Amino acid sequence: MDKHFSIQKLKYVFYTVSHPVDGYYWIRHADKGSVPIAIILVVLFSFSFSYNRLSASFVVNEIDPRTVDSLSELGGVLLLYALLCISNWSVTCLMQGEGRLKDIAIAIGYSMVPLIISFNLATVVSLFIADGEEAFYYLILTVGIAYALIMMLLGIMQVHNYSLAKTLATLFLTLIAAFIILFISLLIVDLINKVYNYFHSIYIEIIFRM
Amino acid sequence: MSLSKRCIRVVILIMTLISVFCNCSVALASELPYDTYNYNFFEYIVYTPAAYVPSGSISGTQLTYEGIPLGVFSNPQDICKTPAGEVVIADTGNNRIIFLNKDMTKVIKVIKDFDNNGETDTFSSPYGVCVSKKNELYVADTYNNRVVVLDSDNNLIKIIRDPKSEVLEEGYVFTPLKVTVDYADRVYCIAQNMFEGIMVFEDDDKFVGFIGTIEVQISLWDKFWKRIATKEERSNQRLFIPTEFTGIDIDDDGFVYASNIDETGTQAIRRLNPKGEDVIKKGENENLGGDLWTEGFTNYAGPSQITDVVYRQKGMYSLLDRKRGRIFTYDHEGNLLYIFGGLGTQKGTFVTPVAIENIGNTIIVLDAYRAEILIFTETQYGSLINKAVALRYDGDETEAVELWEKVLTLDENNELAYVGIGKAYLTSGDYVKAMDYLKRGMSSEFYSIAFRRYRNEVLKENMSSFLTGGVILLIVLVIGNSIYRKKKGIRKKEGLLNG
Repeated sequence: MDKHFSIQKLKYVFYTVSHPVDGYYWIRHADKGSVPIAIILVVLFSFSFSYNRLSASFVVNEIDPRTVDSLSELGGVLLLYALLCISNWSVTCLMQGEGRLKDIAIAIGYSMVPLIISFNLATVVSLFIADGEEAFYYLILTVGIAYALIMMLLGIMQVHNYSLAKTLATLFLTLIAAFIILFISLLIVDLINKVYNYFHSIYIEIIFRM
Repeated sequence: MSLSKRCIRVVILIMTLISVFCNCSVALASELPYDTYNYNFFEYIVYTPAAYVPSGSISGTQLTYEGIPLGVFSNPQDICKTPAGEVVIADTGNNRIIFLNKDMTKVIKVIKDFDNNGETDTFSSPYGVCVSKKNELYVADTYNNRVVVLDSDNNLIKIIRDPKSEVLEEGYVFTPLKVTVDYADRVYCIAQNMFEGIMVFEDDDKFVGFIGTIEVQISLWDKFWKRIATKEERSNQRLFIPTEFTGIDIDDDGFVYASNIDETGTQAIRRLNPKGEDVIKKGENENLGGDLWTEGFTNYAGPSQITDVVYRQKGMYSLLDRKRGRIFTYDHEGNLLYIFGGLGTQKGTFVTPVAIENIGNTIIVLDAYRAEILIFTETQYGSLINKAVALRYDGDETEAVELWEKVLTLDENNELAYVGIGKAYLTSGDYVKAMDYLKRGMSSEFYSIAFRRYRNEVLKENMSSFLTGGVILLIVLVIGNSIYRKKKGIRKKEGLLNG
């Protein structure tokens, strides 16, 4: 337990946010990060995202609250997170990346912190703005998203010990890998479905003949 | 024995109660032959009380003229009203024009022929009629390719035919379908196969030009295909021609309301100023095309096909949809007020609706296939909305509050009512209530005004305490920081000593 949730590890999340390069370096080389905390951060981000869609003032938010389902959004975000981690890991394995799967998971998970802060802050701010002042709301969101993207980039760069150009190239390959994974999993689902249907029809045939 | 009897009695009592309640609800549901609904801010369908209910129909067989039965109408195509409120029907298939009194119970006159410079002349399939403010009758005499103008005693005033102009093609055949006329006797005419717009005639039947041309929207994708297609392929492709106008009406200020069939379902109505520019106002959702939910592949799906328009009063106008037989009513700001009507064979439904008119507190619709005029009378709900919108059009928002509150007791989902009440509170300075109502009405524009004023008020009242609090906080922070630093410094020194 202490291995994952000590005070030092929690504090280290914020150290990573304020010092990304240094923070991610020691995550890779001194095990300062924690995968469970990273996953909790992703879950928190998913809830902040849903909360923003649900409760932001109607001045900036045209989403029908009845269409927001935080649990299905949580599922989507977690799946996307897993897909990103695995596809990045499978690409960097082949490209002399030094990071382990858990380092990648931590790198992406910790970069959710600015998103969590900015989405919640923007939701609260939206309750105090009127028509024509939406710029503040969108500024907060944009800054949060930009910071998170930069953190993610630096994180992947540091844990793999890559140069910037190589990081960008691997990120591009990661996207392709993600599509391949999606494609193959769809194929498998389809195949399993067909096999299931085959045996099901045999079963029904036997039942009717008996 | 007595116990079982009592049991049976109880059961019978319960069953009668159930049947009574069931009857009630069934009766309510089956009262109207159509759904009445509206779209809310999220473009969801919200069912509303009926604004108009069917209250009868008029067919030719019910009427007699000078003792002789009028006979069934044959494919009637247009109705209009005179300044006195009489109803004029273009009985197209029978080549006659029929005047009915205001209640549509008596025939005032039937025009079958007129005196054309000594000769008796007749109509040939008149598709459109209109009566000007001077009580002159304008008939679009379609298959005779002319517009005939008669005065109230059936004397011929003029005939509009063969428009001559550079903009018209050589050998153009003028086939008028719908006609209307403004206070200055300018004649606006929708002609068959005339895609350039509405034809305008001025100064005694001289053709002066077109107004309200509908611009064709060609997507980038279509342009791309056009570019790579060969000449042969191109000649086989669909032509991009603008849609024709279908119905026309005019308001008191001389603005022309013209409906057209819009394939995208976004704008089926235009309000044209005398220069021919479209000056219609669109509401929150930027849609003036009838139904918003039109997905599907059946005959019943697809955008509404607006076939006629009637300008009513105080900026309100109603559109008639022939696809689903609905009547959509908008106010001058482009808000959809209410929807009613439907296709079918029941009483109060249409088969082929072609024309719509507004007589007093009724809306009448002409059905060409049934050869009937269907009458719809406004309910309490409809009349409250009509009156409230009229008051708002005149700028009496505070007077309309009472009406809007009554509307809310009938239909608590009515966003317009919430906005109406909210705006009144806003002008009276009760910002908290105004914010509450405007939020329910989903009016971000007026909510923001109320909110901004409320925010200023709160800030003004509490400015001194805010500033005091800020100063105290600042002092506390400064002192706290210095104490913290001192302690830290001591600790550092200790650490140094120990280390």
